[in-house]
Amino acid sequence: MRKMVLAVLICCLFACGAAFAADDVIKIGFYNCLTGQNAFGGQLELEGVQLALKEFPEVLGKKIELVIVDNKSDRVEAANAVTRLIENDKVSAIIGTYSSSLAIAGGEVAEVGHVPVVATSATNPLVTQGKKYTFRACFIDPLQGAGAAAYAYRNHNFKKAALLVDVASDYAVGLANFFKQNFTKLGGEIVSEMRYASGDQDFSAQLTEIISKEPDVVFLPAYFAEGAMVIKQARDLGAKFTFMGGDAMDNPEMVTLAGEAIEGFLYTGFAYAPDMPDMNDVAKKFTENWYKEYSKDPNANAALGYDSYLLIIDAIKRADSADPEKIRDALEATKDLMTVTGATTFDADHNPQKDVGILEIKGGKKVFAGTIVP
Amino acid sequence: MSGMTDKKNAFRDNTMTLLAIAALAVFLWQAPRILDGYKVRIINLIAINAILGLSLNFIYGIGGMFSLGHAGFMAIGAYVSAILILTPEQKIAMWFLDPIAPWLLNLHAPFLVSLLAAGFFAAFFGWLISLPVLRLGGDYLGIATLGFSEILRVLIMNLTPITNGSLGIKGIPAHTSLWMSYGILVAVVFGTVRIMNSNFGNVLKAVRDDEVAAKTMGIDTFRTRVLAFSIGCFGGGIGGALMGNLITTIGPTMFTIAQTYSILMIVVIGGLGSITGSIIGAVLVTTMLEWLRFVENPLTIGSLNIPGIPGMRMVIFSVLLIAVIIFRREGIMGMREFSWNWFFSLFGSSKPTKGGERV
Repeated sequence: MRKMVLAVLICCLFACGAAFAADDVIKIGFYNCLTGQNAFGGQLELEGVQLALKEFPEVLGKKIELVIVDNKSDRVEAANAVTRLIENDKVSAIIGTYSSSLAIAGGEVAEVGHVPVVATSATNPLVTQGKKYTFRACFIDPLQGAGAAAYAYRNHNFKKAALLVDVASDYAVGLANFFKQNFTKLGGEIVSEMRYASGDQDFSAQLTEIISKEPDVVFLPAYFAEGAMVIKQARDLGAKFTFMGGDAMDNPEMVTLAGEAIEGFLYTGFAYAPDMPDMNDVAKKFTENWYKEYSKDPNANAALGYDSYLLIIDAIKRADSADPEKIRDALEATKDLMTVTGATTFDADHNPQKDVGILEIKGGKKVFAGTIVP
Repeated sequence: MSGMTDKKNAFRDNTMTLLAIAALAVFLWQAPRILDGYKVRIINLIAINAILGLSLNFIYGIGGMFSLGHAGFMAIGAYVSAILILTPEQKIAMWFLDPIAPWLLNLHAPFLVSLLAAGFFAAFFGWLISLPVLRLGGDYLGIATLGFSEILRVLIMNLTPITNGSLGIKGIPAHTSLWMSYGILVAVVFGTVRIMNSNFGNVLKAVRDDEVAAKTMGIDTFRTRVLAFSIGCFGGGIGGALMGNLITTIGPTMFTIAQTYSILMIVVIGGLGSITGSIIGAVLVTTMLEWLRFVENPLTIGSLNIPGIPGMRMVIFSVLLIAVIIFRREGIMGMREFSWNWFFSLFGSSKPTKGGERV
């Protein structure tokens, strides 16, 4: 009897596995962290892409089919996911993913499979370095680090900075290094460099050490959950200095987690905030549609998902074909395409030259404080 | 009379084994032609997972040492192999935060040499750690090895001049072809079977089943276990190196406890102590997780429209795992092995040895 039940169960699973095929569609693959450690970022990017799909469901008179694959925030799965999209689903182009190390694993596969990938928010320079088929919608960490350093030194006249870095994150290590290089080049001084590892809960030892060095600003290139915890603990310890962070802090949850402690927090991000003044037309439309669709605030990840989709649609239009090779060539030739996070033109390494935005938390809300050219 | 049947059976078994290997070779030769790259990749992953499963099974199932440090030994293998394979130019470009240690810069070796080095390094570290740690037993040993693999991960994260820290290594040439991974798998299976049937194998099983009794018989139980542990780590190192060369990028986040658990899952599902079981476990775990992706796609049954829920496949996979453990507590194969005798008994042409042989 038990065996029967098992057998029937397995048969049901197989029956459901049958695939549906449709003609006359253009397939775009989407792989991202929908589960696992980075799911918060991947989910927002998916929502951004789905919003764009709803707005532009067709290209070249054909319907677009989005094939969504989860990568579990895991490198092996990321490589598997991209292979699946290319070989099994035969997609024309791919969008994804959050997290640079995953984008590198996926990009290597796309390079062999000759299908273009637009990385959403993978900001590490290595992602597109020497790659023919990988592009990205976001700026890169050297630019962001330089922007943060310039803003801290010039606009706020901060002379002494401390670093608090998550050594387990390639993103944090890279960004902190670029901040340090630029800050010292401008004439600033790094008074303390402290480390922690993702998953840590207690930062009082590092914070006490930093407080004793009396910096003007602490650069904290963390993900929002840990960043919020650090800021909260620092204020509890009586820290008076300003905190600065990077684009990974851009999450609506941040204010909920840190409460009042986060007031005055500065971070670099993409030149987009839902309530920013003089928004470009694409951003206006994105914001409007977002609030119609979802009941939460959009963030940079959602905007980058949306932008990645726009980049690919634009390339397909100009290529006048769904052939991956032609889309790749068209992507490379993208010129001044208006997206939510600014006009996009790719440089020789397939990185867009975008403005670095500075955002500040004021009265529990993120406020756009302007853009900066490092 | 029985001697003659044994001889006849031995001849038949050898022929069958050779035939099976030939069939595997034909399959590997044809696979890239008839299957798409996605399936080839999964088939490749199966071999790597089987190697990892077998090596952990050697430590845990056959040696009776509960080790949770396998991800650590994989990491050693993957890093040793990657650093040996990369060219000096690649290393300079990649170590852009802290330059690579000068003595590592010009180190360069072909793939097979790097693979062997990966195995030996992992075995060396296994030997080193086993000297203090194997004085413990049971759960304590598990905790100590788990600690070791976590320490190793923290070291990898912080020794930037050697490992490039959390940035990891990318651009490793994709050397892990089907021939490579299955060639090594066959070698590993052959090696394990030979060890199991040797005197050392018997000694090891004696130590596993009753350490006190084995000691009374004059066996140096500590030495036996250290040796077995190191051999298992050798396999872990090779598996890690193959994995790195398949996905062409590695980093410390790859080798967490979750990686150890997924290998442990292969071993437990297949059956502790069974070589056949580990291979079946590797096939099941690797294919099921990929195949179950369809449950995350939006599904339309008649007028009913079910939106795709990411993460659903993990839920279903867990349910299947629980089912296996409930219905077959000792794993799919238990401690039995595949044997040609059992295979022919299926067709009723040989004397029945029901359900294979117990090891």
